[in-house]
Amino acid sequence: MIELKNLSKSYTISKEQTSEALRGIDLKIEEGELVILKGASGSGKSTILSLIAALSKPTNGDVLVDGKNIAKLSDDFAALYRGKNIGFVFQKYNLLANLSVAQNITLPLIPLNPPLSELEEKLERVMQMFHIGHKKDVIVSKLSGGEQQRVAIARACINDPKIILADEPTANLDKTLSLHFIEILKELKALNKTIIVATHDPLFFGLDFVDREIEIADGELI
Amino acid sequence: MRNRINFYLLEYVLHSLWRQKSKTLFIGLVLTLLIFLLSALFFIASSIKHELAQSVDALPEITVQKLQGGKHTNIPSSAVDTILSIHGVEDAIARVWGYYYFQKAGVPFVLVGVDPFEEQYKKSLQKIVDNYEISSQEQMLVGRGVYEIFKEHHYEESFNFIKSDGSLYTLPIAGVFTETIELESNDMIILSKQSAREIFAMDADMATDIVVKVANPEEIAMVASKIQLAFPDARIITKEALQISYANIIDYKSGVFLSLFIVSLFTFFMIIYDKLSGLSTQERREIGILKALGWRVELILKEKFYEAALLSFVSYLVGVSVALFYVYILHAPLLRNIFEGYSVLRSSFHLPFVLDFQTLALLFFLSIPLYVAASIIPSWRVATQEADEVMR
Repeated sequence: MIELKNLSKSYTISKEQTSEALRGIDLKIEEGELVILKGASGSGKSTILSLIAALSKPTNGDVLVDGKNIAKLSDDFAALYRGKNIGFVFQKYNLLANLSVAQNITLPLIPLNPPLSELEEKLERVMQMFHIGHKKDVIVSKLSGGEQQRVAIARACINDPKIILADEPTANLDKTLSLHFIEILKELKALNKTIIVATHDPLFFGLDFVDREIEIADGELI
Repeated sequence: MRNRINFYLLEYVLHSLWRQKSKTLFIGLVLTLLIFLLSALFFIASSIKHELAQSVDALPEITVQKLQGGKHTNIPSSAVDTILSIHGVEDAIARVWGYYYFQKAGVPFVLVGVDPFEEQYKKSLQKIVDNYEISSQEQMLVGRGVYEIFKEHHYEESFNFIKSDGSLYTLPIAGVFTETIELESNDMIILSKQSAREIFAMDADMATDIVVKVANPEEIAMVASKIQLAFPDARIITKEALQISYANIIDYKSGVFLSLFIVSLFTFFMIIYDKLSGLSTQERREIGILKALGWRVELILKEKFYEAALLSFVSYLVGVSVALFYVYILHAPLLRNIFEGYSVLRSSFHLPFVLDFQTLALLFFLSIPLYVAASIIPSWRVATQEADEVMR
């Protein structure tokens, strides 16, 4: 279970100026729940995902994941937590452009240094799941947007994380590919993953398999 | 499991270097070039120092030159007897030597007259006379550099010296010597004193100068002053004075090297400064992505360390190996010209192989740790920031 308690985050713009991205957010997300976090650009959706993934620390408040306050984790433990629990699909995919599909997907496994057989097994599994196996050795910069997104999702899932976070996952895709992503979400939901999608794409609104839609504006839940 | 070597990380390092191949190649080339240049300079300097140490050791304790009108002129060989009578003098030898300008090649040679039956004033000369027999008075031994020049002008068997009256004096080549002190002997021709006098148009009872051996080094100054008293018109040069003169030549040449050394170091530190001044947006983004994917700061820094260490170590190995090849196999073309011969002989000499481990260690510590630190510090600065901030 994910619980956000009185969560605030502000960014320092200059010595005198700060920008408040989140103000006193309280939110509970149950295990296996699929939540759509909707709101305009700059509303604070991405900041919530970033805090849940321990990519940044809140200015105030707590982020509890399975009862543990990850906001207080040291840098190294935060990395460990991410590696074990979080699969993050970034808006621009954040792939390393000159590495192959397989090399990008296996990046989260390098810190764990698993035996080669285990690594290959995991790689095959996610490549098959997201239909990218035929492009295994292709350099990702040579893939289409949809293929790059599938690589990003496969990378997010290779460690079999409990929580999947997707930040504007269809921002760079056409309608067909966006619908395909929604199908993938359905499959992940069926695997009992906790999924949070931050988006302002109307295609995600009113989907029958989505548990909740939460709207955010100016750093506050509506 | 924890202690297993992380081959995935090593593979990532290689891919990372390959991914940025233009940058890797550029930095690798610049580092290799700098290490090559510094190594070559150090290797040449070590060889030269080694050669000169031998030359200086072989110098006579005192050299007596006759002056006339303030200029060096020939001295009567009979002065040897007077000098030998001075207390503390072990031996005195009248030398016949001089320069011969080979007009066709535009180079001067050093002609040294020897009497094979008398003891030579220098160990290196004694070695040459002992090893290469001059069977007749009318033969000569030539240094390697001289022989190369002769060959270029088709004098493979003998050479025709032009005497002061314009007539030719032909001497067959009895052998080519390759003694240890190449810097000194490269442009040298050894012939009989009689032949040398013939070429220089010297009278039979005259010598170029007289070298004096003193048994006790403490007495050199005293013996020198006694010789000066006996020959007021002579210039008395002690070994110490010659050493200073040699050192001046080396200091001048070392200055040229020092300039090159400073330029190389300056370039190296420019690279270091550039590295320390920060990472590119792409490098920052990559660190952010790796952090987001669960890489610890330690692992990111380890990866950066391997990258920098591999690049700088390969550059070091290649730079030093190429420098060894350049100096000791190719005989340091271009840089060699700074040091070649005491005269202006343009022929080649071979630098003796002196592998100075101190120099290699100095170069190692000047290049690898500095470059690695310069790569790690900016990466550490970025890696310790929040991943979200780095990727933004």
